[in-house]
Amino acid sequence: MFEPVIASFEAEYPDITVEYNQVPFDTYATTMQQRLSAGDDTIDVFAVDQPNLAQIAAQGFLEDLSDLKDAAQDATSEAQYEINIYDDKMYALSIWNSTQMLFYNKDILDAAGVEYPSADPADRWTWEQVEEAGVKAQEAGMESGLLLEQVEAYYQLQPLVESLGGGSGITGDDMLTVDVTTDGWVEAMDWYAQTFESGFSPRGVGGFQTSAVFTDQKTAFFVGGPWDVGGFAANADFNWGIAPHPYFDGGDAVTPTGSWSWGINAASNNKAAARAFLEYVALNPEGNLTSTETQTIIPANSEAAAEYLPTLEAMGGDNSAGAADLIAYEIDNTAVARPVSVGYVQFEALINQAFADIRNGSDAADRLEQAQQQIEDAWSQLR
Amino acid sequence: MTDTVVRSRRGMSRRTVLFVWNTLLAITVGLAFLIPLWWSFINSLRPGAETFSYLNPLQWQTFFTATPTLENYLALLDSDLGRAILNSLFVSVVTVIVGLGVCATAAYGLSAFKFRGQGVLFSVVILSFLIPFDAIAIPLADMFRDWNLQNTFIGLILPGIGNGMAIFLLRTFFLAIPEELVEAARLDGLGWWGVFTRIYLPLSRPALIGAGLMLFLFQWQAYVWPLLMGTDDEHILGPVALSNLQGQFQVDYGVLFAASMVLVLIPLAIILGFQRYFIQSVSTTGLK
Amino acid sequence: MTASRGRPRGGGARRVLTGPAGIALLFLLPALVSLVVLRLAPAAVALVDSFFRTTLLGGTSFVGLGNYAELFGNPDFQNSIAVTLLFTVLINPLQIAAAFLLAVLFTRRAAGSRFWRSMVILPIAVPPAVSAVIWSVIYRPDGLANGFLAVIGIPPQPFLTSQYQALLSIMILLSWIGVGYWMMFLIAGINDIPASYYEAASLDGASSWRQLWAITLPLVRRPLAFVLVADTVSNFLVFAPVQILTKGGPNGSTNLLMYDIYTRAFTFGDINRAQAEVVILVLITVVIVALQFRLLKTED
Repeated sequence: MFEPVIASFEAEYPDITVEYNQVPFDTYATTMQQRLSAGDDTIDVFAVDQPNLAQIAAQGFLEDLSDLKDAAQDATSEAQYEINIYDDKMYALSIWNSTQMLFYNKDILDAAGVEYPSADPADRWTWEQVEEAGVKAQEAGMESGLLLEQVEAYYQLQPLVESLGGGSGITGDDMLTVDVTTDGWVEAMDWYAQTFESGFSPRGVGGFQTSAVFTDQKTAFFVGGPWDVGGFAANADFNWGIAPHPYFDGGDAVTPTGSWSWGINAASNNKAAARAFLEYVALNPEGNLTSTETQTIIPANSEAAAEYLPTLEAMGGDNSAGAADLIAYEIDNTAVARPVSVGYVQFEALINQAFADIRNGSDAADRLEQAQQQIEDAWSQLR
Repeated sequence: MTDTVVRSRRGMSRRTVLFVWNTLLAITVGLAFLIPLWWSFINSLRPGAETFSYLNPLQWQTFFTATPTLENYLALLDSDLGRAILNSLFVSVVTVIVGLGVCATAAYGLSAFKFRGQGVLFSVVILSFLIPFDAIAIPLADMFRDWNLQNTFIGLILPGIGNGMAIFLLRTFFLAIPEELVEAARLDGLGWWGVFTRIYLPLSRPALIGAGLMLFLFQWQAYVWPLLMGTDDEHILGPVALSNLQGQFQVDYGVLFAASMVLVLIPLAIILGFQRYFIQSVSTTGLK
Repeated sequence: MTASRGRPRGGGARRVLTGPAGIALLFLLPALVSLVVLRLAPAAVALVDSFFRTTLLGGTSFVGLGNYAELFGNPDFQNSIAVTLLFTVLINPLQIAAAFLLAVLFTRRAAGSRFWRSMVILPIAVPPAVSAVIWSVIYRPDGLANGFLAVIGIPPQPFLTSQYQALLSIMILLSWIGVGYWMMFLIAGINDIPASYYEAASLDGASSWRQLWAITLPLVRRPLAFVLVADTVSNFLVFAPVQILTKGGPNGSTNLLMYDIYTRAFTFGDINRAQAEVVILVLITVVIVALQFRLLKTED
């Protein structure tokens, strides 16, 4: 996956060789937690899932990179800079970034007589509009109206809650106070539950199987990430388009953001070389750009992103027209990062379970109340 | 005279009916178990984007494809699956050989002899497999790191060789060996080791195959442990390589199924290959 | 079986041979060393850990039975115990009955019996990550299972999305994986039964059902005991399909103890309480396995 960036780095720094080790994504966090806490010095640079940074830094596994603060601030967006700060120190550099947008099936909207949503953020659709159009598409023969890519993930659903002013769910000075029972939370989750209850969204499809629902023409609207542009360009044999991530009528426009940062293992024996590599991949636009060569993912470096986005847009031809401007706009204006908290890992696992239950028919208010309790319990072991 | 002829003929026809009936039942059951795997096999022969296209309602394309392609299998050549399978095979085979030796001798010690404290030792064996390995993997991994075993084959092989369940299995079948046989052999001057290798082992082939398969699968499917022990390129194992095929954002199910077909192939060959020996036992080896 | 009836397979009789304990120990030594070092020692570490608490922001302190007390006061943990016990009570008899009947079927004369038998054993070899993907597709609302149900005129079922069907769906999946495996050991046992027994019974005019009850079942008692214990233990250790398919849901209905341990240890990093849970799980297993051994003994 990182062969191109390693090759170009080694060409530039002939006396350093980089050895790449992959750990499966689904067990990445747990495996790293084990190996880092055992002081495994075979790891020099490692990728940090951004919301987990606080917990990893608090355990002392990450080298302090605060002397690079200025360079980092210049290289990336504000949200992507701040996400690496814990306790006023910078512990990692952002490598990739992400956002979400609304994909739609043009053919079915034509058949249903619905006008396409515009790619212009100024004409952003509300969820209510999506629902209205999606129902018409269902009447025109579409199996379902809407599907969100990571159906049960906080990353995907946080914007729904935040759009209604529900807050991130974590508050307090030490970011260890749970708050997932606000009106915004309940209202957003009630709406979400109802989309499944009514058959507007399909139950029981999860994991990596969601984007196939869109390419198999079984849903009219799909909320997904930049990586889907590449996937749909290859697999969808119908006309599709992109539009800004929806928001709730009367609420704020909020989009997800964040991806991976890289940091240096505090137990590493090769810190100088690790630093050279890290700076090359994060701060050098060219290096950052090569890190995305085998993935459809937005580089976190602003210069690299500016160069990359037109390529991304070109992947889908007419279908993805407007993607570059839209993504650049969202990253600068509507992106809301996941909260920085040492308890994020527990929070995410438990709130995702609540999302899954709500999707399967649990009462939203009750289930959130229960999640509140479960997260408080889990956090009691942190203090 | 005529009476017996009639009876045996009626017996024949009853046997034929039973034969047909058993065959039908065997095919039905076999097919039912095969369907999920067959479905993934067919999907390994078509592009990943089509995996979910023919699910419901059922149609002929659900279980067959008119345009099979080997592209998914060719894509595997670019991954480290080949090396991972060789590594897994090495780790598993060594585990089976060493493990069978360790477990069979232990089972022999627990079944051919009678001594004080035997019950306690048997309890230790039982207790050892009641402890969930994945749950104690964390403290064990700390120990292995102290011994500098991370990213070594020894580190991967060691946890597999002492298998309480395999000892329990072998002991179960060893206990069925008639003691008259052992007595006679002892009178003929066979030592304890001779009794073990000349009588116990040959008479317990099905159990040894079962225990071998148990040891093999423990390693062939090992996932949590190799992740804790290290995953560098030289020591990567099959299940880890398989998971590495699943990206963070997308999974190509065609490639995933192709990889799992490859991973299933070796155990399949083993199961099919050893079926022959499975029939042999005390009663058929003529020793009874 | 009594010893006077010829003792065809040494049937349960005590060994009369008393070899020196020293020789027996020598045979046992390699296994004992590996089991003690690789299983019991880390388990002892886990037991000790379960009396301590290490927090991210605090430090390590001795809490005695504090972790246990907190677990038993936690409704999610109570639910997990209940789900695990329900699961154990249901799945083990079902799997063992199925494995036994299949073993009987596949030891009878039939065309291609060996091949179809292999197909039944094969699922044990499928990587857990893949069998979970396959069954997630089978159980999707628009998946294969509902496709087959539609053919025989049954309305679509929710399977994994319903808290009343999820556990049963997981059990079916696990049986697909494991029944053939356990069948294998029973086949080995059935094959050990001398054919003359059946011939004698046939001459006495015993029906095949009668033979199954009177000959096969009692004579595979030992392998059956092994399968009962091994299957019970294996089912206590299940977590991969739960992790991939339901994450313990809906509403905790599939939150098996081992999955709870796995998330607590690996996701939450709450090692101490996870180890306390391991200790509880092992104790439950010990009690149930001890009960099974006692039950099998009294039948002797």
